[in-house]
Amino acid sequence: MKRVRIIVCVCFLFLLFVGGVHGAVKNPNTFVLANYGNLRTLDPCVAYDVTSSQRLWNIYEPLIFFDGSHTDKFKPILATEVPSLENGGISPDGKTYTFTIRKGVKFQEGGDLTPEDVVYSFKRNMIADPDGGPMWMVLEALTGEGSTRDRDGKIIDGIFDTIDKCIEAKGDKVIFHLPKPYPPLMGILNYSSSVILDKEWAISKGCWDGNIKNAAKYNNPAPGHEPLLKITNGSGPYWMKAWEPNKEFIFERFEGYWGPKPRLKNAIVKYVKEWSTRKLMLQNGDADRVRVDIQYVPEVKAMKGLTLYEVPLLSVTAAFFCQKINPTGNPNIGSGKLDGNGIPSEFFSDINVRKAFLHAFDRETYKKDVFNGLVIMPTSPNVEGLAFHKDVPVYEFDLEKSKEYIKKAWGGKVWEKGFKMIITHNTGNEMREAAALILAENIMSLNPKFRIEVRNVEWKDYLVKYRQFMYPVFLIGWGADYADPHNFIYTFMHSRGVYGRYMAYRNEEVDRLCEAGIQIIDPKERKKIYHRLQDLWYTEAIAVPLYQQIVVRAYRDWVKGYMPNAMLTDASEMLMDIWKE
Amino acid sequence: MLTYIIRRLLLLLFVLFGVSILIFGILMTFSPERRAAAYVTTPQQAKDIPRLIQQFGLDDPFYIQYFRWIKEVSRGNMGWSLVAARPVREAFWRYLPVTLEMNLFAAPIVIVFGIWLGTISGIHRDTYIDHVTRIFAIVGWSLPTFLFALVLLMVFYGYFHLFTPGVISDQVTMFILDNPEKFTRFTGMYTIDGILNGRLDITLDALGHLVLPVLTYVIVVVALNMRVMRSGIIEELSKDYIITARAKGADKRTIHIKHARRNALLPVVTVAGQLLAMSMEGSIAVEVVFTRQGIGWWLAESATQLDMPVLMCICLFMGVVFVVTNLTLDILYAYIDPRIRLT
Repeated sequence: MKRVRIIVCVCFLFLLFVGGVHGAVKNPNTFVLANYGNLRTLDPCVAYDVTSSQRLWNIYEPLIFFDGSHTDKFKPILATEVPSLENGGISPDGKTYTFTIRKGVKFQEGGDLTPEDVVYSFKRNMIADPDGGPMWMVLEALTGEGSTRDRDGKIIDGIFDTIDKCIEAKGDKVIFHLPKPYPPLMGILNYSSSVILDKEWAISKGCWDGNIKNAAKYNNPAPGHEPLLKITNGSGPYWMKAWEPNKEFIFERFEGYWGPKPRLKNAIVKYVKEWSTRKLMLQNGDADRVRVDIQYVPEVKAMKGLTLYEVPLLSVTAAFFCQKINPTGNPNIGSGKLDGNGIPSEFFSDINVRKAFLHAFDRETYKKDVFNGLVIMPTSPNVEGLAFHKDVPVYEFDLEKSKEYIKKAWGGKVWEKGFKMIITHNTGNEMREAAALILAENIMSLNPKFRIEVRNVEWKDYLVKYRQFMYPVFLIGWGADYADPHNFIYTFMHSRGVYGRYMAYRNEEVDRLCEAGIQIIDPKERKKIYHRLQDLWYTEAIAVPLYQQIVVRAYRDWVKGYMPNAMLTDASEMLMDIWKE
Repeated sequence: MLTYIIRRLLLLLFVLFGVSILIFGILMTFSPERRAAAYVTTPQQAKDIPRLIQQFGLDDPFYIQYFRWIKEVSRGNMGWSLVAARPVREAFWRYLPVTLEMNLFAAPIVIVFGIWLGTISGIHRDTYIDHVTRIFAIVGWSLPTFLFALVLLMVFYGYFHLFTPGVISDQVTMFILDNPEKFTRFTGMYTIDGILNGRLDITLDALGHLVLPVLTYVIVVVALNMRVMRSGIIEELSKDYIITARAKGADKRTIHIKHARRNALLPVVTVAGQLLAMSMEGSIAVEVVFTRQGIGWWLAESATQLDMPVLMCICLFMGVVFVVTNLTLDILYAYIDPRIRLT
């Protein structure tokens, strides 16, 4: 028995000793990121999520990329200079962009970069244009069409000829010909769908053969059938050493990289869904950075040995009022009448109702209780960090004013009869749930005849249902595709915008201004337009802007070199910039 | 017995047909829009939902979609897994070894430990040994797997820095990638492949990563086995033939082990068989917490993302596992209890 006790004590001391050994830099040449983003493809024309972009940006390279923390200033990558009006790279009419292509760049499988590769890459990606992909951005800028197919899925007549003519190589230059000025183009050229492929290699792997007459054959590949799904050959600082889907992705330094030698030899992105596991990996130094969801920020703030960065993102979430709700079999509007047991389909078309809801949202409490102050409370969709942003007035929390407006609504019937409705949010999103509850409780406090229920709906169902006009109020966010006000204002306010359409909101002036804003290159003129649109956002009481998220990136303190950028979300990691010491 | 086995295996075809119709029918209750949304992750992509429905024929009648699926399966094409970003068949063979490897170590412990604990608990009925094992069983069975896994992870990995989550260490991963000629993945199970490649260090590394998942699984699952065994032993010990054996002067060991335990094993075999079959879909909580991408993890991810081909594949696989397990159990019964004859 005595011997057993001694063995137990020795084991315990050993464990204590083992447990106490930490603090030194682990694997100084390897960076480990523990994340949970689902990587679906490595084909640049299909990848349309932040996880895929992270992989592609480290393996491939675009012509230009964000300069440090700027989202509207760029540095040349595969181009030798960033084109501008001043250096003649952009024509005075804003319809021609000229890039000089860098020489001496090698692809990871040995090919040399040529201007022809650049031309091919853009054409190939536009021709492929898969459903649900990112190519609408480049297509809209270079061809004036948002897709190669119409609403019925048929290929638009002449679209491939337009693609063929919109970009050309001349000597060491590549020239883009736009049908009309498109100011966000420079931002779009940073996106992972604008990276450059090796033409010969891509063709050998089954991509478009370079003959425009055969383009239709390569259009809209089915998911899983894109040729570059799991193979890569970029000119970037890292190459893909291994990819085990939803397990890990391993980068290795590309020794033939044309630029400065990357300091890290390897990087591993691990798929770790459970927060406790990620946290312990960070604590033990087995991960150099982990993804931290907003609710876990206080935990990482209490941990030692970390460097934290608070990075505001170019994204905004709002509660949208649907002004023409689908009444068919819709439980969210009760009886569908203003009889105390439901709401009519056009309930929110009365601006008084919208203003009443806006005044009932307690922004300060929301900011403090839900985000611990770690959030930007937006005033319009043109959030901080975007060009031409301005702080417009907001409907301050005031239940008396809210009562005033609701008494006026629908000729006083709303106040007299009361109403019943359901506000939905997507399951698991606590920030949106809290916003819905605040709105519901404050509105219900105005009159006992007001009844609002808050329910959660699974995200994929939510995506489908709001597009069927099923929700009186839907809470949803938008992350920047590119850093330009057009990407937000058009989406939120135009009658054909992604959210404007499903709010059934229509205002002639708003539509006209949104369309004008994208066709003018003079910044002063654009500023006037977008300022006016932001004012209209307030006066029209279109929706409740809820939050612009600030993410906290938690690194072990031995990681150096990270440069925050609002366009590079939590999933991003530019390996070239960082090192361990 | 051979006729019996052939008949049961033929029955498997009907079981698979039934399972496939059932699961397909359940999945068809989701609208075409909802099923197309599986290919969409952001509001930006949602505009293409109508075109995705058209592309995949998601609004076709049930029977057309079902027979289209059957046709593809008969060609060996189980479909594409969105979660795994590869064909379902390929993904299945990648994830299965991870689950199998854990079961390979957990199952024998669950069975042997359960039988042993149940036996001593039953023999020492109402003594402190019995009380301790029963408390252990109740606690183990009541513990939420997820919570227990987290506690183990926090204690061992969080505090003692032992037993890193995952399947193998980064160093081993890099070694295998750098030296593909020195390590062949014969089975996909690193503990076995390490031995087959003559690399005991890799086997030990993989074993280190298995300690906490196996421990969690064993403690949570062993309780049921133990309880069944204990009840069986108590029941057997009160039977006349045991009294006769005692009267004839048989020693305790012979009575307990040779007579009582053997007869008490029958229900335990049933329970253990069912537990084994269920474990083939992996312990979701264990695989999620310890970052082991096995069948359970895949199933959970696919269910939340409505990855239909995967759900169909795993349900069919489970159908096969349960039929084969039941068949094996029937054969085992005949071996344990010679009075049972399979016809």
